[in-house]
Amino acid sequence: MQHLRIAATVLICMLAVGVPAGLSAPAQEMVFTSNQLTPVEEQEWARSTLLAGFTRESGVAVRFVTEAEGPYVDRLLAETRAGRGTIDVTGTLHGIFPVFVANTAIRDMTEVQKTLDGRRDRTFYKDLMAVSKIEGIQAFVPWMQATYLIAARREAMQYFPRDRNPMRMTYEDLFQWADNIKQATGQRRLGFPAGPGGLYGRFLHGYIYPSYTGSQVKAFKSPEAVEMWRYLRRLWGVTHSSSFLYAFMHEPLLLGEVWVAWDHTARLIPALRQRPGDFVVLPSPAGPKGRSFLSVAVGLSIPRTAPNPELGVRLIEYLTRPATQVATLQGVAFFPVSPEAAREVPSGGLKVVADGVSAQAGAPDARTALLPVGLGARTGEFVPLYVDTFRLIAIEGRNIEDTLAAQARKIEELYRATNAVCPPPDPAIRPCKPD
Amino acid sequence: MGVAEAERPQAARRVRTDWTPYLLVLPTLVFLGVFFVYPMVQAIWLAVTDPQTGGLTLAHFQRMSADLYFRPAIRYTILITAIAVPIQVALGLAIALLVNTRFPGHSHFLYLCAVPLGISDLAAGLIWLSIFTERGYLNAFLQAVGLVAQPITFLTFERPEWLLGAVILTEVWRATAIVMIILLAGLQLIPKDYVETASVFGANRWQTLRHVLLPLLRPSLQTALIIRTILAFQVFATVVTLAGRQTPVLAGEAYFWYSLYRSPNVASAYAALILLLSGSIVWIYLRVLRQRETEVAPT
Repeated sequence: MQHLRIAATVLICMLAVGVPAGLSAPAQEMVFTSNQLTPVEEQEWARSTLLAGFTRESGVAVRFVTEAEGPYVDRLLAETRAGRGTIDVTGTLHGIFPVFVANTAIRDMTEVQKTLDGRRDRTFYKDLMAVSKIEGIQAFVPWMQATYLIAARREAMQYFPRDRNPMRMTYEDLFQWADNIKQATGQRRLGFPAGPGGLYGRFLHGYIYPSYTGSQVKAFKSPEAVEMWRYLRRLWGVTHSSSFLYAFMHEPLLLGEVWVAWDHTARLIPALRQRPGDFVVLPSPAGPKGRSFLSVAVGLSIPRTAPNPELGVRLIEYLTRPATQVATLQGVAFFPVSPEAAREVPSGGLKVVADGVSAQAGAPDARTALLPVGLGARTGEFVPLYVDTFRLIAIEGRNIEDTLAAQARKIEELYRATNAVCPPPDPAIRPCKPD
Repeated sequence: MGVAEAERPQAARRVRTDWTPYLLVLPTLVFLGVFFVYPMVQAIWLAVTDPQTGGLTLAHFQRMSADLYFRPAIRYTILITAIAVPIQVALGLAIALLVNTRFPGHSHFLYLCAVPLGISDLAAGLIWLSIFTERGYLNAFLQAVGLVAQPITFLTFERPEWLLGAVILTEVWRATAIVMIILLAGLQLIPKDYVETASVFGANRWQTLRHVLLPLLRPSLQTALIIRTILAFQVFATVVTLAGRQTPVLAGEAYFWYSLYRSPNVASAYAALILLLSGSIVWIYLRVLRQRETEVAPT
């Protein structure tokens, strides 16, 4: 009798909880994975704002799974190997797509792109469309893009070298600036995200290397590169000595520990959002070979093993809509991939960044570098080679020429093993090789 | 015949009752098998096989040992373990002995000391980071009392010994509690008679501790040492938070090779190395701290 009563209570409780949940839950559910939007605030925004909008209009719930690159890539490849999947849409950096293409883990997006083009409400920047074509297929539909800039506290501007234009800053200006601050305040207030979770490696291969040598890989150990490393040693001497801990520069910027910081736009924006009046955003500096910057493209694709590919197409349509792109810019500071969305003027801190972005991209000496592609499963080894070189030369003080020669051998081995092509602005030589 | 028949029911009963302990440990065995033994075998397999050909290879170990961070990682892991674990055990023992005197308010003191038990290693790292950064609590305090005019950058790559000190301080703060709890439980298992007998024979406090309590506490000390040393070899989050990769450690390198370089094989080689080190140190502890057969274990 008592058992019966307990069973009845349990059943009633289950019904009480389960029925309303069943009634209110959308009929369908799909899975969207990404290695972007991983910071907790961005995840929260993606779930409660971005994807909630899609669920409202389509009635399809989206389970958003975002994690670090390693587990993210492994999850999709494991589903491919198993021949059975749960992921319907995946969104990641264009540099990761070659791994998926090499493993035939994703579908050709040409048809999806045609459907989107047929709607006539959006076009995509040509350079992004060009990078979306990998090994003969369209690997992804452009979703959002980002770049890296310098953010500075207004009070730091008084130390900027006299008679120089901050919007046309050179690497020498940057050094002088940080040195002036050091002389005046006794503190090193320039900061770089050189910590374990930081993106300092991008500064090395995509910004300063091409700005000094006109190349990411080919001129790795050239005389210009030696000159550049001498400069970096000097710069490190006026850089905040906790930089090896920084991952997101908005934190030390807001604390006042750092006054001038270089980082990914999404990692600067929280500071600009909190105090838009206190910061200025400047383009990355120029070197003897121009003002190189990385264009970071993030794309969407549908896995080959997707259980609901038709829902995937609907989600991609929603995410690339100009209005959604503007919301994405406002929510997480990733910039639009369509000119239709870019025309909408953002306000506040975003306006400050947008000005910085256009000053960088529109500079007469601007030079676009792209993330390396074609390194397949060994993609992850590229950036650490540059960061290790930095550690050896700037922190441990090893001989520049010897270190560059040794590290160049490792880069050569990486490119020879993968038979990959040089990333722009290097000429498209295969396999790429440091001279 | 008669004897055999008389024994049979007894034997049958023994067979029936013998299954119970196995059934009771079965869930644990299944859990350990699925979540520890299987991944461990898989990790070792990854460390010694070529991802392309599937053949056996030592290439991953060679890449690991040729890496820039390999030697510093071994050095720092051993250094952190060798400094932090003895401090943790000494402090843990001192606090356990203090609590065991049952001074007024000892239970509150016990709870206060046990607080770090409930804090994850990453959170502990972040707590101490907020103390040590240039704009942290320590600098704010030093400036408020007028000891320094300008904030001091404690966590700087120019002072590796400060970084190491910050890591060890955090580890001691975080993990002394577990040692203390194990030792306190051990102390409370020791019957009071031993201490009373010792005092009857005129032993002072130090002699009682040295010749009565510590020998009886040996099994607990062994457990605490093994647990702490193994965990010290796996130290990761506190180090990465406070010292980045300036103070590389083995578990951190395993993580970077997996997540940053995307090389599960080399990451597994690091994991296998940690396993080997942990296994050897446990073996040494078990031998050195072995209970002699002539000695009496506390009941």
